[in-house]
Amino acid sequence: MRSLWALYKLSIRQQMHGKRWLVMCLLFLLPAGLAMLVRSNANGARPLEIEFVFAFMFIPQGLLPLAALVYAPGMIQDEQEEQTITYLLIRPISKAALYIVKLLATLTVVIFLTCVFTGVMYTVIYYNFADPDVPHPAVRCLQAAAINSLGVTAYCCLFGLMSLLTRRTLIVGVIYAAFFEGLLANLPLSVRLITVIYYTRIIAYRTMSFVVLRSWGESNIAADAWQLDIARDPKLLEHPQVGTCILVLTLASLVLAVLGAVICAKREFHVKTPEK
Amino acid sequence: MPIFDQGYQHWNGQTSGHAWRWFTIARQGVRSALKGRLMRIALLAAWSPAIALAAMLCVWGLLERGSTVIASIRPMLEFLYPQLIADPKHFRVVVWTLSYDYFTIVEMQISMILILLVGPNLISQDLRFNALPLYLSRPMRRIDYFLGKLGVIVGFLAMIVVLPATAAWVLGLLFSLDISLIHDTFRLLVGSIAWGLAVSVSAGLLVLAMSSLTRNSRYVALIWLGLWFISWVTSTAMTDINRNRQRNRIRTDQFRAYQEENSTVAPKTPDEMRQEIRRRQNVRQQGYLHMQQLQSDVWEATKTDWRPMISYTTNLTRLEQQFLGTQPAWETVASFLPPEQQGAYLMRMSGPQYPWIWSAELLAGLSVVSIGVLQLRIRSLDRLR
Amino acid sequence: MNSVAPPLSSVVVFHEVSKWYGNVIGVNKLSLRIPPGVTGLLGPNGAGKSTLLQLATGQLRPSQGTVSVLDQRVWANPGLNRFIGLCPEQDAFYEWMSGWDFIFTCASLAGMKRPQAREAAAKAIESVGMTRHMNRAIGGYSKGMRQRTKMAQALVHDPQVVFLDEPLTGTDPVARRDLMEIIQRMGAAGKSVVVSSHVLHEVESLTPNVVLLNHGRLVAEGNVREIRDLIDKHPHRIVLVCREYRKLAAKLVAWDDVEGIEILPQRNGILVETRAPEVFYSRLPAISNEAETEIQEVYSDDDSLEAVFKYLVSR
Repeated sequence: MRSLWALYKLSIRQQMHGKRWLVMCLLFLLPAGLAMLVRSNANGARPLEIEFVFAFMFIPQGLLPLAALVYAPGMIQDEQEEQTITYLLIRPISKAALYIVKLLATLTVVIFLTCVFTGVMYTVIYYNFADPDVPHPAVRCLQAAAINSLGVTAYCCLFGLMSLLTRRTLIVGVIYAAFFEGLLANLPLSVRLITVIYYTRIIAYRTMSFVVLRSWGESNIAADAWQLDIARDPKLLEHPQVGTCILVLTLASLVLAVLGAVICAKREFHVKTPEK
Repeated sequence: MPIFDQGYQHWNGQTSGHAWRWFTIARQGVRSALKGRLMRIALLAAWSPAIALAAMLCVWGLLERGSTVIASIRPMLEFLYPQLIADPKHFRVVVWTLSYDYFTIVEMQISMILILLVGPNLISQDLRFNALPLYLSRPMRRIDYFLGKLGVIVGFLAMIVVLPATAAWVLGLLFSLDISLIHDTFRLLVGSIAWGLAVSVSAGLLVLAMSSLTRNSRYVALIWLGLWFISWVTSTAMTDINRNRQRNRIRTDQFRAYQEENSTVAPKTPDEMRQEIRRRQNVRQQGYLHMQQLQSDVWEATKTDWRPMISYTTNLTRLEQQFLGTQPAWETVASFLPPEQQGAYLMRMSGPQYPWIWSAELLAGLSVVSIGVLQLRIRSLDRLR
Repeated sequence: MNSVAPPLSSVVVFHEVSKWYGNVIGVNKLSLRIPPGVTGLLGPNGAGKSTLLQLATGQLRPSQGTVSVLDQRVWANPGLNRFIGLCPEQDAFYEWMSGWDFIFTCASLAGMKRPQAREAAAKAIESVGMTRHMNRAIGGYSKGMRQRTKMAQALVHDPQVVFLDEPLTGTDPVARRDLMEIIQRMGAAGKSVVVSSHVLHEVESLTPNVVLLNHGRLVAEGNVREIRDLIDKHPHRIVLVCREYRKLAAKLVAWDDVEGIEILPQRNGILVETRAPEVFYSRLPAISNEAETEIQEVYSDDDSLEAVFKYLVSR
């Protein structure tokens, strides 16, 4: 346990030192900066609309997959490229435990970034800018942070596993994010059941309100953007419940993590000797 | 002497000047990139839009000649407006322009992927393995090194944009057999080549600058991805918010007009009924004019909307629109639609409307910053650590 | 009554071990027992030394056969790493860490408690002579300092068996001498040390026990002298210095056990080749006592690791 704790601390330090950390902080600050820009420019844009675009479109579709691609594949690959993995392999730590601890450290860092900067963004959006459709912005902030954290956990577990299966994790990850999460998830077809973002959207839709009251009536901005046919199925009976979505995402993350640990345990990491 | 020296022999011949030294680096870079299987597959995939472009231009050439060869595929052209097919020669420039437009838009996305595959390793690997002294200890200047590395990007983008655009143009000319086509479409050839070079230089300098910032090529790839993808998402988000605001304003006004139209008490007498009908007609007419004005205002607002400029690829698209002259082509196609639909169609199809010079200046500025970064990061041999 | 386990006769045992990378064979049906003490692992480039060390430390899985250290299987046995230390060949560190930080982290990774790890780190750093520089970032260290730091991380958890992969590469003579002293101290302290190196004369000064590899195969193992004696393919070469070296040569050429004589005018002597060095040496005093053929100096030209290495590797 002491070895694992030491490894966890080492991995956190590795993730948080250097320019990469600074760049990631700036990247996560981008939604807050843009929200400030929109508030100062777009007269008539409601806070809920700004929140929806940034917290539930920009961050989950753009920022989270990118953050997961920055951190998760590098867990093992960076150590191998820098040839420092030898120092970890010759310690009394099994390779499976090595993978799991590194994954936990990665998740800690990414979830920390997600939660903190989601909070910053919500502060920027709702500070001195009340919206009658949003009585408790702080609660919404916590909900958004939790949902996005669940999403990024799944992405990290997925890309971490990918990094053990291929060296071209970046290309594969980009194709996955663009095609599956970007394209298929927006189609009103059952193929979106295999995407992470579908489940996070359903959780968000069922637990939070995205209804904006306008002069001509109510407008559900989430249903329009996420291709949810509330006209035909107002209670979304054809879609899973919150508990199911959380279970699916959690189980998927666990399965991917365990699979990664098993593959890591059986793998050899060639530092001086040829790979094939 | 019967016994000859088998050792090193000094070259006494002529050495080439500096003019072509960059070419050695560029050639080596292209060759080593082509060794990767993924790269070769990406190149093959990158040529499929070119094949589609060439096919379209050839088919149009045969259409102009009224060839019976394409009689069997004429039904497949029903996706085009019948007015275009009825007089193919008259609408030649429109069809060619829009074909090149689609080709360049698709090739731009593929170019971004190609640069993602090739660009990150160019300088970061040299930094990682300390290969810079190997280059700069030769009679090679920094400018030769930069040009050589840039030449790798230019080489690949020329392979997928410039060459196919030229080849498609020549094929279209051959299938049309009409010499006036050269005059009509030469602008497209020159425009697509110029645009290809602009993309190569701009994107090439940017990715080289990024590559010089870190030894880990994976992070360079991620920075490139961030520039491409995040800037596009940001631009889309900002534009969507703005557009929603405008749409909501239109809908609010529509609703107000509806309320005003239906606000009065039901008429009791025939006179009152005639008056009410006239009143409603007036309100409807005014409402219609107001909507027209609103939509016209929205259209005018897009001409100064800076939000699309946040996306790097949108700036390249704006340049492409200008070089190829796509706006008149879209306006011609829009004229086939009913007047009330033309504005929305143009807004949807013709792309960003802000002045193209803004994009040119932004891209030029980015290039200058890239050159500055390269100057700082890649030092001459005496200043290398 | 406490029973003490008998000392191991072999610390590292390779039994019919093969390792291939696709079509390339790294180690070819190798059976080897490395005894306690300091052992040199020698071989040209591509001989399989790195492969052998990585198999012994559990980083690679043998394609065939078994590898055991301290009587335990190595592969998928991370617990064994408590007793094994490795000083890897690659010059790789967490460059942003200080020397102290790095060694302390390695001690913590080995499972030590915080105060224990501090003490062990301080001791290891002192043993390699890096106390003065321990608070500087590793990125600013010289090559010799980096090698010492690597050595320290291999020793911090007080392992029983230490594997050193080319520990002297790139070091200056002073650092080399210091590192060799450290290795000798390790051996004297009862640790089993396996040193892989190209620097033959330095391995020779560290230990007479060597393992020679070539093309993934075990060529020879044991004491250098014994190996040399067993190489009957090559006659021994003995240099004799004598004022009247030509007359000495004339006398020796008549001996049955002398196979060849080469005149060495620049050394004032002759080089004699013989397959029976003991017989030759036993007859030398008599000939030296004879008039005109008084021998001033006798030495063997090839009774060295380098000669053994050359004979065995180049055949």
